[in-house]
Amino acid sequence: MSIASVPNTRWSNNNLKDLLLRNTMVFILLIIFVFFTIKNSEFATLGNFRAVLIAAAPFALIALGQTLVILTGGIDLSVGSIIAVSAMSAAYVAVNKTENIWIAASVGILVGTVAGLINGLIIAILDVPPFVTTLGMLAAASGFAYFIGNGAPINGLPEEWERIANTKFFGFQTPVLVMFLGFVILAIVMKRTSFGLQIYATGGNRSAAEIAGVNTRKILISVYVLSGFLAGLSGVILSSRVISGPPNLGSGYELGAIAAVVIGGASLSGGRGTIWGTFLGLLLIQTLNNGLDILIVPAYWQKVISGVLIVSAVTIDAILMRRSR
Amino acid sequence: MENCPFPFTNNIASAWLPCMSKDKSSNAFELVGVNKSFGGVPVLKSIDFSLKAGTITALAGENGAGKSTILKIISGQLRPDSGKVFIAGTEMALFDPKNSHKLGVAIIPQELAPYPDLMVYENIWVGRELKSKFGTLNRREMLNRSKEMLDVFGIDINVRLPMKKVSVALTQIIEIAKASTWGAKVLLLDEPTSSLSDREIEHLYDMIKQLKSKGVSMIYTTHRMGEIQKLADDVVVLRDGKIALQKKIEDTDANDIVTAMIGRKLGNLFASKSTPTKIKKLEVKNLTLTKSSPKISFDVYEGEILGFGGLVGAGRTEIIEAVFGVRESMQGSIVVEGKEIKRGNVKKLIKSGLAFVPEDRKGAGLILERSVLDNGSLPNLDSFTIAGFIRPKFRIKGINKVMASVNLKSRGVEQLVGTLSGGNQQKVVLARWLTNQIKVLILDEPTRGVDIGARSEIYSIIYDLVATGISVVLISSDMPELIGLSNRVLVVRNGEIVGEVQKGRLDEQGAQEEIFRLASGQNTMNQNTVGSR
Repeated sequence: MSIASVPNTRWSNNNLKDLLLRNTMVFILLIIFVFFTIKNSEFATLGNFRAVLIAAAPFALIALGQTLVILTGGIDLSVGSIIAVSAMSAAYVAVNKTENIWIAASVGILVGTVAGLINGLIIAILDVPPFVTTLGMLAAASGFAYFIGNGAPINGLPEEWERIANTKFFGFQTPVLVMFLGFVILAIVMKRTSFGLQIYATGGNRSAAEIAGVNTRKILISVYVLSGFLAGLSGVILSSRVISGPPNLGSGYELGAIAAVVIGGASLSGGRGTIWGTFLGLLLIQTLNNGLDILIVPAYWQKVISGVLIVSAVTIDAILMRRSR
Repeated sequence: MENCPFPFTNNIASAWLPCMSKDKSSNAFELVGVNKSFGGVPVLKSIDFSLKAGTITALAGENGAGKSTILKIISGQLRPDSGKVFIAGTEMALFDPKNSHKLGVAIIPQELAPYPDLMVYENIWVGRELKSKFGTLNRREMLNRSKEMLDVFGIDINVRLPMKKVSVALTQIIEIAKASTWGAKVLLLDEPTSSLSDREIEHLYDMIKQLKSKGVSMIYTTHRMGEIQKLADDVVVLRDGKIALQKKIEDTDANDIVTAMIGRKLGNLFASKSTPTKIKKLEVKNLTLTKSSPKISFDVYEGEILGFGGLVGAGRTEIIEAVFGVRESMQGSIVVEGKEIKRGNVKKLIKSGLAFVPEDRKGAGLILERSVLDNGSLPNLDSFTIAGFIRPKFRIKGINKVMASVNLKSRGVEQLVGTLSGGNQQKVVLARWLTNQIKVLILDEPTRGVDIGARSEIYSIIYDLVATGISVVLISSDMPELIGLSNRVLVVRNGEIVGEVQKGRLDEQGAQEEIFRLASGQNTMNQNTVGSR
């Protein structure tokens, strides 16, 4: 179910069919795009695209981590809570310990990374299933988030705190740039480095990878650490956008991230999927949410429509793939 | 249907009898001119084969001769490309396991798949559960009938035990008992004794004889000569998808059968043996796998092919996996070219020149969803990277070179490994080690499930490697292969090296018997093994 496009040397009927097959999700995305453009003139504007991207950024980061985790055949359910605990730690440090927002932000990211490391160690060394381990971390990290704020949001963050997410470079806000940077770096890592290949190998067939000398434990630990790190980063960005530390920040985000990865064509049993696919999956979800918002569709119908469309998109992809076999 | 004057009903017994009276139907089943090929490679070539009702036919042949394909066609798992299949005189139109089941065919596969966490009696009734009048499970009835069912065969076992606590042998017997109680008239037994002990085998024989006396017909595949002569009425030998021999058991003997199976002199595939040097390439010293397991020590010399013989399940693979570090070991040392390598460090072992081609290439050898390129570069990834970054052109060049050296047939290095044929997959698993200067190549059943053509190619690759001074450790259950390739054979039984057959002895007649005797721990020679698992 590879979605990445491969350059076609000759253009024939077969190649066209091939192109369609390989890029099902691109076409579905285009259809949704055209639909919203026709329905509402506000949709296809630069301002709105910016809004889509800035809303996508925190999701994008955890979806990237999730992609690597899912490629190894695992799952990380804890990212939503890691966002909360990272944001709360950062906010606590910024309010109580230091004037320097960068130190506070670093503490937040570090907390996320450590949570990821704990996940990775339990999964790789103790062989506990990822689902169980990260479900536990989901509860525990959320508990810590409430503990840090004594059960309430942390307010009174310095004004500068807002700058983290609102500074612009080249016309884009930092979160958007971080998101693009993340996609580009990880796409290169997965395609061009031995680390990337070893992730695919570990998820594709762990015992075969071990016989070929891949240290699969190290690989597993690294992907959960990376997922925790990115969730931490996402937490800091989110708290900067709301200029506070709410302990329920990011709750439920893990499901959106998993959805993006799966829509992007990754297999939950590991070994198959691409960064490009996740990018498309993320865009699909975010475009849909934004478009429905603009059309002032009530929130509950939005949920129903998103659910139906997500399953339909993956179903169409699966049917086309099966036919092509 | 034309052979059966009555419409078929779900009741096997009532449908069976009318058909028995027709002339064709004195056969439990009949294959007429059956052809089957996989991906253009013919596996069965116009096979005519029938089984008389109430008799046992032994089906023998080497790996890949087509035995299991025949069983799969009769049991409805495969559809023949052409030809007709009759079961009890009824022509099979639909090749579907359920349909075969309805016609009274039961298959007992070599590798059973029970539900380990369900109880014995639950396993027996899964799929045709007995229900009470409220539609709930009638457990008492199922319990009682399970006991009766097993009693018939003299098996006294607590049917409330979880299946995972039951031995392989009993699992098999339960499976057969189950088939006989739903009224199976044709039983297909695929190497039923390959994992049983002698006592268990006796029990199985009793059961088979009992079933035969009840009119059940059986096909029995095995590589044990003793069993063929003890149980079968007829013997059919397949070779390269054709019937090479079809006789009544009293009109033939073990020698005939072996000749028909192999069909050529053993020497044909194998070159004359070179003499290894006295330089030790790999030394394994006092390796123990678990606290209670015996110490394993052996040396491999430069340019030597060291064979490991033994029965399936004797522990050869486990020993080799422990040497390579993919299986845990308790103590001992591994020395490559005089340098001790830390136990369990696969990466270091690979760097020092060890290479391992596992038995189960799909399960442990290859990542099927990745390309030849990715699979090929995995073991020596470091040599294709700079600071972790893959050098694309360099990598393609390197992989192309080694894949060409083994004559890989693919659409290029980007082809997914899962879409290659078995023989070509095996070449990838082998060739990927050649990107490095290897010293010792460990091969576990390198030709299992590989056709004759690719097999001889794999042998010639092995010979080429040995000629350059590489040592080979060969695990094989294929006796001609083990004897034909090895300079020396170590025999393993119950996880222990119990004997060594030297070069000179290997060339003599009777080497096979000697290896078997050591492997089985018996002094009798009536259960000669030939061919392969």
